[in-house]
Amino acid sequence: MKAPVDDRLDALRGSAKRLDYSARSLAALENNPRCTLRALLDASGSDKAAIAAHAGHPSPFGQSAFALARGNVFETMVKDNGCAELLRLLRETLQLTLPEVGYEDLNDIGGDGRAEVRHDRTKQVLLQAARGNGGGTLFDHPMLCLPVGGHKAFLEPDLVAFRIGGRFHVVEIKSFPIIDGQADPTQVRAATTQACAYIIALRNLLARVGIDKQAVSDTIVLVAPKDFTNRPTAAFVDARKQVAALSRQLARIERIGDLVDLLPEGLTFDLGLDKDKRARRPAEELAEALDQVPATYRPDCLNHCEMAFYCRSRARADSSLDVLGPAVREQFGGIDTTTMVLGLAQGRLTPTQDQVEMAAALRHAARLRAELNVLGGAE
Amino acid sequence: MSMLSALAHVQATESMQAVPLTAFRHRRLSSRPLVIIPLVMAGEAGAPLAAMVGSARRKGTLLVVAQPRNRDQRFAFAASLGRTVIDYIDSFRQGRRGGGGHSRYPDTPQILVPNHGGIKALADLGRMCRFRSTSGPHAVPDVVPEFGMWLTFLVDRAEQAGTSMLLPVTGILAEHWATGQSTLEDQNLASLMAWIAPPAGLSVEQAMADAENPDVCPPAGPATSPEFDNRDLAPAIKRFDTARTLGDLRALAAAESDLRELIAGQIQPTWRMTWEAIALLRSVPEAPRTIKRFERDCAAFTSYSDYRDSGGLPQRKRDTAIGAAQRLGWLERALAEFESDMAFDDPFVLADRRSAGEAFAGTVVEAEPSRTVTTASNRRVPRPRVTIRTQDPVRLAADTKLLSPSMPSGHKAVIVSVLPDGDATLVTVEVTGGMGRARVPARGSVPVPDQRIAYLPDPGWRPAPQFPGSDRTPWTHSATAGETGADPAAPEDAAAEEWGNED
Repeated sequence: MKAPVDDRLDALRGSAKRLDYSARSLAALENNPRCTLRALLDASGSDKAAIAAHAGHPSPFGQSAFALARGNVFETMVKDNGCAELLRLLRETLQLTLPEVGYEDLNDIGGDGRAEVRHDRTKQVLLQAARGNGGGTLFDHPMLCLPVGGHKAFLEPDLVAFRIGGRFHVVEIKSFPIIDGQADPTQVRAATTQACAYIIALRNLLARVGIDKQAVSDTIVLVAPKDFTNRPTAAFVDARKQVAALSRQLARIERIGDLVDLLPEGLTFDLGLDKDKRARRPAEELAEALDQVPATYRPDCLNHCEMAFYCRSRARADSSLDVLGPAVREQFGGIDTTTMVLGLAQGRLTPTQDQVEMAAALRHAARLRAELNVLGGAE
Repeated sequence: MSMLSALAHVQATESMQAVPLTAFRHRRLSSRPLVIIPLVMAGEAGAPLAAMVGSARRKGTLLVVAQPRNRDQRFAFAASLGRTVIDYIDSFRQGRRGGGGHSRYPDTPQILVPNHGGIKALADLGRMCRFRSTSGPHAVPDVVPEFGMWLTFLVDRAEQAGTSMLLPVTGILAEHWATGQSTLEDQNLASLMAWIAPPAGLSVEQAMADAENPDVCPPAGPATSPEFDNRDLAPAIKRFDTARTLGDLRALAAAESDLRELIAGQIQPTWRMTWEAIALLRSVPEAPRTIKRFERDCAAFTSYSDYRDSGGLPQRKRDTAIGAAQRLGWLERALAEFESDMAFDDPFVLADRRSAGEAFAGTVVEAEPSRTVTTASNRRVPRPRVTIRTQDPVRLAADTKLLSPSMPSGHKAVIVSVLPDGDATLVTVEVTGGMGRARVPARGSVPVPDQRIAYLPDPGWRPAPQFPGSDRTPWTHSATAGETGADPAAPEDAAAEEWGNED
């Protein structure tokens, strides 16, 4: 049953190397779960950035070297000397009683940095700890594995702490500041969603040996700089809702076959890379292929999806109301395009049964605007 | 958003140009605003990178922090920006009018930033500066905490609807014009200006594409574009650091002027565009009631100014329970009044409220001008009733108090009944005020048949909510003894806040 779907997904990706889900692309699931185009591109492991660029809409996502450097410096500082600073935080700021504390570095295993090897070692030590006979309490960069739509996605949390109240806790180290006890809500949300992927992967690992999901807490520990200093502070973030939401979305990926079945035969997003990794496929042909898959564009996509600029130009070409954003969209429930809105407002289109009320409201609004323009308007 | 504003956005999309949402500009524009374009360093918490500041287009001063991670350089920057801003603020602290406790400065400072992010950057800068100590091991110049406190005051005040002492230019533009793009894209000054006034020779489409290309239109901040950071800024800062470590004065001067030039290239397009936007906004007439809100700004400015003169403490980090409740109360009240004022002044905003059923306009079909009632104190007073026929989808209930922009000021009425009549609605209202003191209503104070009239709800007068005194706050709402920030007089680690990444 699974094989044909996988074949179709492989065909969608074409000759390119498969990109695995990362915690970030999993988090993207939560941002726009209803988008078929994104679901298919992610499930097939296609390189969204390359596809968008070849279709003529390169994504503007770069990360500033300053932000990267700051993130790394901060993480190193928190983890220095066997996480001394972190332990101080857990004990003082979060007032936890941590008796004896071990530290296990899982960044590489005897110089071997391969994901599989690290995952095996992670599994071993975490299961030992869960059964109560491991020495480690803080696991630095464990390598977790989450099957997503039948494929392994390797995920690497910053840190997993054990035995905070007898349960595993995911620790997320971020470099955005917590100023006077408050952090930017969008950044906290993004960090939490990312941590949710780790929680689910960790639960998965334990479930395979029959350990209840309660062994992993759904409260994450967020460590971030305090105020304008470089000193860290910590806070608990309740992730229950987001864990549930992400679990739901993951279950949906399992049903990606339903989406694939709706696609025309022979559809592919292959870029036709030559041996110099240059895309040889005509851009119009690629755009045509992309156009066959429905996308759910929202202005918010511009903040996180590589395909957003492509989708926006498509939504503009379709005169879709999506371009104007949810605030405008929700005023015109049941109508999809600007052409339709104006047609109904000016009485050029006959409303369907469901649109009668909306059409009356629109005509009223249009009359008001017309009156205003007669009055002389603003200019 | 109402149906009418949504329709305006659709019209803008179809015609590919911005369409007006209001007849007036509801924000006061000072004749001498101070524009600040703040830039910050990516990834750092409130680390200023540069700012361009000035009160005229040709008088912009560029301030640059060569190494934003260095604490001393940060505060040297804060001090020089602070001096400019405090000098500007001080220039309004003169010519006080009126006597006794009610005297006021006749004008207020006005700081304009390109976007909401600019306000956030100033808020961070204010928080960073206001607790600094001017003596001891980490001493900063006197102007730094003073600047921090003023910035915090301005940022707090900007949260209140209808105020105009600190405003984002994108916000004022988007209040007046609807574009064919989303609210998110409207936050980009260049994109917004592309719709309203595209550069000469460019179509809106081309201008929009340019607006999103960081090489043509550098972002209006506070963050710089990642490409610029990686390609230009990071190497330039590195050269500066190397020169400083080596103590090579010539290389240092060269690196510094390089950095200034790079940053000037990023900040100047936004500076010019901000002044263009201001000029554009000046061409929109100011709404009549703006002056009323301006007077409140004057009062707030005067009172904070006096508080500073009396050596007041910096604003606390977190509001107390009572402070927060009071503040919320003010904010809600200011918003209700601002919305009502706008609808009263502006037929566009009134139409907006009408399309949502929150106001109505129509023709008087029936009037009972001589109706009187006897009050509880046994006085006969005129209480005329009129019935208005309207096509608007009225959603107001009986007993709603009303104001009317189409009647003489002071006119007040209350809804008696709202009844459907075919595809229209009949609203009967009782006139309750603005008729003079006589037994018979003054001429013109009661609507007459066939008159066109509009009504909107009166936000009314509300008594200020009463809260217990700070020493009588119930334990559920008071900070526990050990909690920091409970005592504004002793901001913890005020001077010694550690600064990382020092080199």
